[in-house]
Amino acid sequence: MSAYLGGWQVGFLRTIRSPGDLSVRVGFFAIILLVMSALWSAAVASNGGSIEGYTRAALLWYVFAAQVAVLGVRPRSVEEIGDEIGSGAVAVQMLRPVSVVGMRMSLELGEACARLIVAFAAGALLTWLFAGPPPSLPALALAVPAVLLGCAANIASQHAFGGVAFWLIDAKSSWFFYQKLVFLPGGMLIPLDLLPRGLELISLALPFATMAYVPGRIASGHPDPLLLLWQVAWLAVLTAMAAAVFAAGERRLQVTGG
Amino acid sequence: MTAAIEANQLRKTFPARRGEPIEAVAGISFSVAPGERLAYIGPNGAGKSTSIKMLTGILHPTAGDARVLGIVPWRGRRELAARIGTLFGQRSQLWFQLTPRQTYRLLARIYRIPAAEQDARIAELGELLDAGNLFDQPVRGLSLGQRMRCELVASMLHQPEVLFLDEPTIGLDLVAKARFRDLIVRINEERGTTILLTSHDVSDIEQVARRVIVINHGRLIYDDRVSRMRRALMGTKMVDVRFEQPPDTVEVDGARLVKLTGSGAKLEVDTAERPIRSVLDDLLDRYQVVDISVSDPPLEEIVSHIYARPL
Repeated sequence: MSAYLGGWQVGFLRTIRSPGDLSVRVGFFAIILLVMSALWSAAVASNGGSIEGYTRAALLWYVFAAQVAVLGVRPRSVEEIGDEIGSGAVAVQMLRPVSVVGMRMSLELGEACARLIVAFAAGALLTWLFAGPPPSLPALALAVPAVLLGCAANIASQHAFGGVAFWLIDAKSSWFFYQKLVFLPGGMLIPLDLLPRGLELISLALPFATMAYVPGRIASGHPDPLLLLWQVAWLAVLTAMAAAVFAAGERRLQVTGG
Repeated sequence: MTAAIEANQLRKTFPARRGEPIEAVAGISFSVAPGERLAYIGPNGAGKSTSIKMLTGILHPTAGDARVLGIVPWRGRRELAARIGTLFGQRSQLWFQLTPRQTYRLLARIYRIPAAEQDARIAELGELLDAGNLFDQPVRGLSLGQRMRCELVASMLHQPEVLFLDEPTIGLDLVAKARFRDLIVRINEERGTTILLTSHDVSDIEQVARRVIVINHGRLIYDDRVSRMRRALMGTKMVDVRFEQPPDTVEVDGARLVKLTGSGAKLEVDTAERPIRSVLDDLLDRYQVVDISVSDPPLEEIVSHIYARPL
């Protein structure tokens, strides 16, 4: 366990030593909030002050938490994992007496925690300025573990997807597909409650909803602890899937040359 | 005495997307005693790296058997990883955003080195490998030679019994190469670490190893002491000369003209026939020489000498 905790610390350190990346992410986040603020203001105003129970403020706090949860994670992790497998760089990680996927996830979780601290603080401040106070302070407090669990589920899921490169070699297509899944059925673009009923049900059955929708839903004024339990359950499943994919993949690694 | 490394008819065939499967290692058998310094060499594509990857458990062989420190590598990869060290010249194990010392601290936790021992081991290796002054600089700011010394510390931190070095001197300049070779020999002599070194630089073999195995097209074609190989197969030196004025030809006793291009010439010297020093003296006396360098013949030439030997 100490090794994985060490990996977490290295990931954390590595990120705070790259302030440029953090600044770009927060800057990008501010632009998204600005655009979404204008968009949802117009939509809510033309719909009598709320959409499916979401007021303008609730929608902007939703956007805040859903975006923070996704921004905390390396955006192209699936592709990076695929490249490491395809190029054989994963071999160096396999030469240590620890789980490859466990160490990778620890490192990325450390990075995510560093980003989350900055993004959550800066994002909450900006959202407060754009939308006013959060619909519920307990909900905002509960959004903190929800964002963290959303990041963790996203990292585990990216490893399960990226591990496909052990078979496909080129995982670029899975990265493209994955990004779209987090974007729409994950609830990053729009709360799932606003989707047509059929699409909403399908999205809720998929793990991607735990990565953006759940943090957003909680921050928008729905402090339901069952939502956290839902995240924990999917996190366990996705972690087991990532571990299984890597265990099977490592046995069939085909890497030639030095 | 139990062998540190044992390979028995080890074979690896890679499936090809189109055409015939590629046989990278075609049934290799050898054994390495504890504390030996073995050069495992061959031209590009000979199967050196694939062999190492099987011996470290990264690749599963198509057929055959191997044991490293009594462990079947691909079955007990993690158990073995705690007892061996690896260094791949083309792959870094240091994190570029961190200092080497920060990476060593993580590796110390990975290898379960007691906290009380970590600093002492890092300092000891820093002294042994003359690298202690580099440990607190960001890795991205180190030269390749400095980084390779830090990589070697990372490979040695858990006091491995066997060290696999895959092309560790690739890309290093002459001074850094010489220094790195000295460090490997020192590790072997002071700690008794078994060394398996792959390279296609002939000087690595002469200066590091006592025994040499040559493979080509995935097959073992030579296994002997380096001193014997030197006598039998490495009796030539290559001399590159640049002249002030382009000569019509270059004639020196004991040297064969291989190539003449404008003001440059390449000569092959059979050192059994005439010492290299006297050939160089002759060249300098008889021609207006601007630059001169002596090197070993390329590995491909040694391999062709092996095939040309009488059986």
